[in-house]
Amino acid sequence: MSVETTVNGEPEEQIETEWTEYGFGGDAAFSVRDLDVYYDDDRALRSIDIDIPEESVTALIGPSGCGKSTFLRCLNRMNDRIRAARIEGSVAFRDRDIYGTDVDLVELRRRIGMVFQQPNPFPKSIRDNIAYGPRKHGDINTGLLSRLLGGDDREREEELVERCLRGAALWEEVSDRLDDNALGLSGGQQQRLCIARALAVDPEVILMDEPASALDPIATSKIEDLVEDLAEEYTVVIVTHNMQQAARISDQTAVFLTGGHLVEYGDTDQIFENPQSQRVEDYITGKFG
Amino acid sequence: MSASHASSATIEDDRSGVARSAATTAVGLSVLTMLLAVANVLNWITTDASVASVALSTLYGVALAVAGVVTVAVGLLSASAVIDANANDTSGVLSGLPVGLLALSVVGLVASQTLGYGVAIWAPAALVCAVAAFLFGSLAREDLTATLPWGGFALFVAAVLLAGVITPSWTWDPRHLGVALTGTITVPCLAFAASLATAWAAAKATQGFGARGRQAGAYLLIGANALFMLSLLVLLVAFVVEKGAGHALRGIHLGPGLSVHVPFVMNGAGLGYDIDGVFPAIVGTFWLVFGALVFAVPLGVGAAVFLAEYAERGRFTTVVDIATDGLWSTPSIVYGLFGYAFILPRLSPGGRPNVLAGMLVLGFMLIPLVLITSREAIDSVPDAYRDASVALGVGRWETIRSVVLPAAVPGVITGIILGVGRIAGETAPIILVAAGGLNADPIRVIHGFRFTSSPPFVANDALLSATNALPYQVYAVIETGVGGSESFGWASAFVLLLVVLCFYAVGIATRMYFQRKLER
Amino acid sequence: MISSIRPYRSRLDALSERATDEVVAGAIGALSVVAFGALFLALPTYSVFPVVTFALAAAYGWYRNQGATAKSLTFLATASTVIILGLIVVYLLWKSLLVFRIMGLDLFRLASPFWETSKRTFALTPMIWGTVVTTLIATCVAGPLGIAGAIFIAEMAPPRARGVVKPAVEMLAGIPSIVYGFIGFNVVNPAMSDYLGLVSLGSLFAVGLVIGVMALPTVVSVAEDAVTAVPDEMTDGALALGTTDWQSIKSVVIPASFSGLSAAVLLGIGRAVGETMAATVMLGHNQALPDPLYDVFANTETLTTLIASQYGNAITRDDFMSALFAAGVVLFVTVLCLSLLSRYIEARMQSTLGGST
Ligand SMILES: Nc1ncnc2c1ncn2[C@@H]1O[C@H](COP(=O)(O)OP(=O)(O)OP(=O)(O)O)[C@@H](O)[C@H]1O
Ligand SMILES: [Mg+2]
Repeated sequence: MSVETTVNGEPEEQIETEWTEYGFGGDAAFSVRDLDVYYDDDRALRSIDIDIPEESVTALIGPSGCGKSTFLRCLNRMNDRIRAARIEGSVAFRDRDIYGTDVDLVELRRRIGMVFQQPNPFPKSIRDNIAYGPRKHGDINTGLLSRLLGGDDREREEELVERCLRGAALWEEVSDRLDDNALGLSGGQQQRLCIARALAVDPEVILMDEPASALDPIATSKIEDLVEDLAEEYTVVIVTHNMQQAARISDQTAVFLTGGHLVEYGDTDQIFENPQSQRVEDYITGKFG
Repeated sequence: MSASHASSATIEDDRSGVARSAATTAVGLSVLTMLLAVANVLNWITTDASVASVALSTLYGVALAVAGVVTVAVGLLSASAVIDANANDTSGVLSGLPVGLLALSVVGLVASQTLGYGVAIWAPAALVCAVAAFLFGSLAREDLTATLPWGGFALFVAAVLLAGVITPSWTWDPRHLGVALTGTITVPCLAFAASLATAWAAAKATQGFGARGRQAGAYLLIGANALFMLSLLVLLVAFVVEKGAGHALRGIHLGPGLSVHVPFVMNGAGLGYDIDGVFPAIVGTFWLVFGALVFAVPLGVGAAVFLAEYAERGRFTTVVDIATDGLWSTPSIVYGLFGYAFILPRLSPGGRPNVLAGMLVLGFMLIPLVLITSREAIDSVPDAYRDASVALGVGRWETIRSVVLPAAVPGVITGIILGVGRIAGETAPIILVAAGGLNADPIRVIHGFRFTSSPPFVANDALLSATNALPYQVYAVIETGVGGSESFGWASAFVLLLVVLCFYAVGIATRMYFQRKLER
Repeated sequence: MISSIRPYRSRLDALSERATDEVVAGAIGALSVVAFGALFLALPTYSVFPVVTFALAAAYGWYRNQGATAKSLTFLATASTVIILGLIVVYLLWKSLLVFRIMGLDLFRLASPFWETSKRTFALTPMIWGTVVTTLIATCVAGPLGIAGAIFIAEMAPPRARGVVKPAVEMLAGIPSIVYGFIGFNVVNPAMSDYLGLVSLGSLFAVGLVIGVMALPTVVSVAEDAVTAVPDEMTDGALALGTTDWQSIKSVVIPASFSGLSAAVLLGIGRAVGETMAATVMLGHNQALPDPLYDVFANTETLTTLIASQYGNAITRDDFMSALFAAGVVLFVTVLCLSLLSRYIEARMQSTLGGST
């Protein structure tokens, strides 16, 4: 497949994508067709075509600024929030076009959870951060009345908070200060809190944008374990700058290169051991930024 | 992680269905009723008028009845699962409180006023009903609590209007209050309240209740509020323009050359003029503002430079911050008192009001306005500029003068313009320290200077005499009737508004221009 | 300063020389400031002398050492804000001393007689009550409507509309209060007496409404700034969990901007308390408590209107004038407390937010 493009008025550049069609068994969670994203007049993604399988871990790697976060934000339509962003092409989630007119954004984002590149806890207590989603969705009622009428949701909430914090490898550190403000946590702890917060609404897909970039090796390996566990039931799409991490935890890997091109996509083992493209090999072996 | 995925739910939003379109219709009908009621309160339509040969209160009644019936019906259908909805099973305290309050006021008023029961009966009755309504409102299914009370209220109001219990000629004397409520105002107010209620309830129904329903309801209320607020303010300005522009532009003609002669703006008042004008007041305001600027801008900007560039954060800056806040929030009339006590006796024998005192007092008021905005402007100059300059071996003051201040000038100027807009309209301090009567001719400050042989060696009688000013002119029209009729007052108010809003417009436009430039 | 290529010695000489004459100039400047202060208080006509010496000293200092002079001058400007506030406090208190001596704590007595100038009875209670009532009504109008308006502009309006509405609202904040007063006097008062059959023109209720509308744009504009200051990432976090826009506004944006929102409302309250002209022209100036107390349609007096309307009568009488200054003291203390309170709330929130935003 060859893509012709004009880069900022520079002469036409030919980019050869050296993989044909990547086939995998099972269903596709996302089918992305001919996706272009523009920020005002800058093109951040160019004709992306990719199928992301269910119940597995897909890693997105590539140099800084190549559009990984942009791509991830297309999958749950968080790009709608950026005024400058314009999207062309189609993204289907379970065969339904998520950019269709009658799509319910709230339901979509509830089913496709996201952990952002920058930790963004709410200025509330740790407990409230985790219980935020379930409370808003009416899964847990801790209002004044339900407390007066002796609803048992408090216990369920305790249980949920603990489960999610354990899942995000944060429980040991914060179990005795659940009522402290989350903004008092360190950056790495905040990031894990955001992971726990996303787990609490029990989404079907989890999008993670460099969840381990601010973590120490121990917490990182806990997060990696978590991701591998999640893959049994969930679809996980994870952006990472860490090649070893991508190799360790993902089932398939997509390599983006500068300019917003998806250059290669395939089984992780195959990408890391025997990449088809020279540029990808250079990037993976560190010859290319 | 339990795998309780709601796989059955789709990501598509189901907005179809007869019930939802009925609810949408009810929203539209209610909004129309609200608009009609507003027009009614503003007296664009009188309450006893009729629209298309239907009496207005009948119209209200019918519209409210329809909206109420639809609202209640959608709620009941949703609760009996005939139509699709995602309502919560309980509603919560926040939904219960307004329902309780509604019951309290309706039952209380009806029992005490219409049925005429004594306190011993109506108070407990209203309380019991309110508690019951509160419990219902918080515990019942959300689709019921969102619709039944409010639809019911609309039906109640509709019944009251249609049955002629409250007519335009109805009056009500609440005991102890010095008012007699007339039907002219009660009918539209009731209609407005009831249609607001049905609009809110029906808006929730259009989205099938639940979180999305609450969002629709809240957005409807907030949007209506914003619309109301903006139109009110625009209406105010338009009203002053409509009332004042005619008189202000009376007798306008081309003068010699290409100049335009606007008598109202260019004439003084008195026998010598065919059309009395506000020229002396304009000149007075000009000098007052000019003097305040000369006095306040160096002080305000200087203090801002010191605070932003030299001062270490500590006790002194805390005291200054508090002083600035204090000066900023001190009511203008208090400045007037201060000027009366401190400045007047020192400037003129006998402490008579004079222009110079007005300049100083307005200057005192201007200092914090200039200081705060200038300081913000200086603070927002990036440190990189300073570092770059200092790294070249340029001294601190040189850096401030040649790098920081030029970068901050737009912000400082904006602050000054906005501050001037504010003090130009100030009336209260002027009454106390600067104004006295309506002079027929403008003060002549420039020609007033002369030298004397005793200290302070310069004197200016014009500066030490009282003056007129635009805001004072408006005040004088109301207070004493001096200076002419009501239309003279409207025209003065129009000129004042024009002057002040121009300052604001220029100030805000400059700020936006430089903000844009910074963002680029 | 190193730029001169004169021999080392002469540079040193110049340095020490400069130091002495600069110190002298500085001392003269400082002395003339003090002398000006003293003379302006005692013999204002002679204060021209220190003004001249100060100007000379400053000019000399500017010529010899701009940096140091500029720093001293700006320091002086800074100090002047504190001095002005100090003077206001001193003069208000000093002038109101007489009535405090006459009335003592009876200035705030709870039973009539309240205000009988001929009998030297000056209790401020009715005026304080009037201010409280009008401020409450105005806050009920400006607070909720203002915050709702701010949320609309910041979170709901399309960006294009926002670019128009925000500056428009700021402009409307500049409408002078006497214009509101003129409208209130000529339109609202007659309408009120039409609709509500009021016996007299003017009521606390009408004044409260007008002041509320007047404070509205200020509240909207300050509250909007606070709402916009909440970082987008926080809202994104909530939306990514599948909440509706309204849920994220209610449970993330509003709590996160709470300090700014309360500062906006306090600012509105401050303006309502200090509002003079609209109330003065609309009220009927009856220095008595409404009967019954909650009769918001009564035609009484507020602290500000007392000063503005009675000033003419009081000018010949020290005790009467002093009572007006006492009203000024009450006003001043109230708004100062309000502004300190909003400063405190802001500081509290900043520390609990951990400097995040
Ligand atoms: N909000 C925005 N407005 C304008 N341009 C943007 C915006 N966000 C991203 N971009 C541009 O889009 C391109 C891709 O950005 P993106 O954040 O997707 O990169 P990334 O691959 O996630 O990089 P990193 O690894 O550093 O996070 C960049 O050139 C960036 O400048
Ligand atoms: Mg990124």
